[in-house]
Amino acid sequence: MSATDTQTPAAAPQDAAPVHKSWWRALMRDRAAMLALILLTIIVIAAIIAPLIAPHDPNLNSRSVMQPPVWTERGTWEFILGTDGQGRDILSRILYGTRLTLLIGLVAVGIGGVIGSGLGLLASMYPKIDPWVMRLNDMMLSFPAILLGLALVAVAGPGVWPVIVALGIASIPDCARIARSIGIGVMGQEYIEAGRAVGLSDWTIFRRYLLRNSISSIMIFLSLRFGQVILIGAALSFLGLGARPPASELGMMAAQGRDFLLFAPHIATIPSVVIFLIVLCANVAGDALRDVLDPRLKS
Amino acid sequence: MTELLRVQNLTKHFPVKRGLLRRQVGTVQAVTDVSFTLAPGETLAVVGESGCGKSTLGRAILRLHEPSSGEIRLDGEDVTALDTRDLREARKRMQIIFQDPYGSLNPRMTVRETLAEPLLLHGMATPANIRAKVDELITMCGLSAWHADRYPHEFSGGQRQRVGIARALATRPRLIVCDEPVSALDVSVQAQIVNLLQDLQRQLGLAYVFISHDLGVVRHIANRVAVMYLGRIVEQADTEELFLNPRHPYTRTLISSAPRPDPTVARHKLPVEGGTPSAMALPSGCAFHPRCPMAVDRCRAERPELRQLGGTLVACHRADEAVEGMDVAAAGKDSPALLRRLEILEQARTMQA
Repeated sequence: MSATDTQTPAAAPQDAAPVHKSWWRALMRDRAAMLALILLTIIVIAAIIAPLIAPHDPNLNSRSVMQPPVWTERGTWEFILGTDGQGRDILSRILYGTRLTLLIGLVAVGIGGVIGSGLGLLASMYPKIDPWVMRLNDMMLSFPAILLGLALVAVAGPGVWPVIVALGIASIPDCARIARSIGIGVMGQEYIEAGRAVGLSDWTIFRRYLLRNSISSIMIFLSLRFGQVILIGAALSFLGLGARPPASELGMMAAQGRDFLLFAPHIATIPSVVIFLIVLCANVAGDALRDVLDPRLKS
Repeated sequence: MTELLRVQNLTKHFPVKRGLLRRQVGTVQAVTDVSFTLAPGETLAVVGESGCGKSTLGRAILRLHEPSSGEIRLDGEDVTALDTRDLREARKRMQIIFQDPYGSLNPRMTVRETLAEPLLLHGMATPANIRAKVDELITMCGLSAWHADRYPHEFSGGQRQRVGIARALATRPRLIVCDEPVSALDVSVQAQIVNLLQDLQRQLGLAYVFISHDLGVVRHIANRVAVMYLGRIVEQADTEELFLNPRHPYTRTLISSAPRPDPTVARHKLPVEGGTPSAMALPSGCAFHPRCPMAVDRCRAERPELRQLGGTLVACHRADEAVEGMDVAAAGKDSPALLRRLEILEQARTMQA
């Protein structure tokens, strides 16, 4: 009887390692998530190596204006996705535009994620500052992102960066809120008390206990937020607040294509489809991330 | 000095705040005016039902909860007055084992990381010899060195509790507060852990404050027992004395109502009705009087102080009276369930030997 608890040599070292493999296997089993992840990876890589694979200069006006895509009757292989109202190759513009769109999403989510979750976790750790952080949060929440973007653009002039900063700031309160509630759950665990009993400093407890145990849930939220930010960013570009004209950005491309919707619908629909795909993939992958990471690395 | 720990008039009250403005609407009197001493190598059990403040007491001793008032002297040094730096130093000498072996280990850290933490922090090991030190610690608690590189979720409850014990032992403390260390485990594993605790106590001269509601385990492990009811100690005596000659009606009730797994055995139950009153609104006089079969007017008006009665400290106006319906002899006898539990504990001991 006394031996059963401590000695299980049969299951010894071989199952000590696969902690990291088990979530990979779970992800493989989820077909939709796998597809989303693969698609997202392709999109990201394509965006990164855009200068290498873009068939044309994205800003070069060719003589064929509003050329339809290759799968239509009048399509040619020279412009696979056709050309826009100014004769620019849509495929090349999509590749460069995705770059900018992803940049907006990542940096804005990064700003909001780091500041927001930092504030939220601090609030969960120190009940004294909690009400202050949360009231500040409520104030920020009552401020629409688009309005903030408009204000920043009014001050700093139009461009990508004011939009990124506006979206980042607008992401802070949501992130803080989520991080706080995740953090409160973690702070209630006995291992936090155990860490204190050991004599660990607050900083170590924050880093090694609170952050390590909240980060996966926060990352899942951020992956969902990423999709939202891209949509708002596209909306701001659509309103003419984001990237400035010669540059390409997916939301802006959709906005420009709007004028030709009746004669050349592909100009607006193709960038819209790409936005849709990015957001959909980010959301599906984020959802799967939750399923995979949440059951506490259970094997 | 024969005194390792002296707790003097320890009180911990939690303010209850409600509403938008966080106004204080009441106070939970979790621990009130608790005093006891503990010698090196001794085990004091603190028993009582859920919510009586025994866990708060344990955490207050370690200053995991800041005591509201009172004094805690460890080796003569007042723990309540220490600043952060000295408190860390003091935590080398006092540690805690938690109840829930699933919640008390950081799920994102391997056992090795968890155990290395106190060793490195308190300078008990250097990065150079940390591997060996952790291996030594973990084998001392009955696990193997290869267990160390695993994550907590790969362990059974009993094994995790061994890790928890190893963490508490890492700094070679002299006092360990055991907060219901076995109540989350099944009976056979309980016996192993209890025996491990006893072996370690003998080897290392540890003193335990053993918080439990399991009288079988308490009887087996404790030298002295303190019974708590609604934040106060109502009776304190040597283990034998307390079990054979309980003075306080609450203690008698506790002992007579120790669970029996066999439903066919008629329960010899002492007449106690109702639940525990709220610790936010304590009854007047003796806190136990609403449930006490012996209560008289005096109990409702005047709170009994602890007083010496034979070898026992007891807080009851009528502790020295024999009262109808509170048959001390019958209540004091070990229930069959208790005897069976003790038997299992003994069995585990002989099997280990």
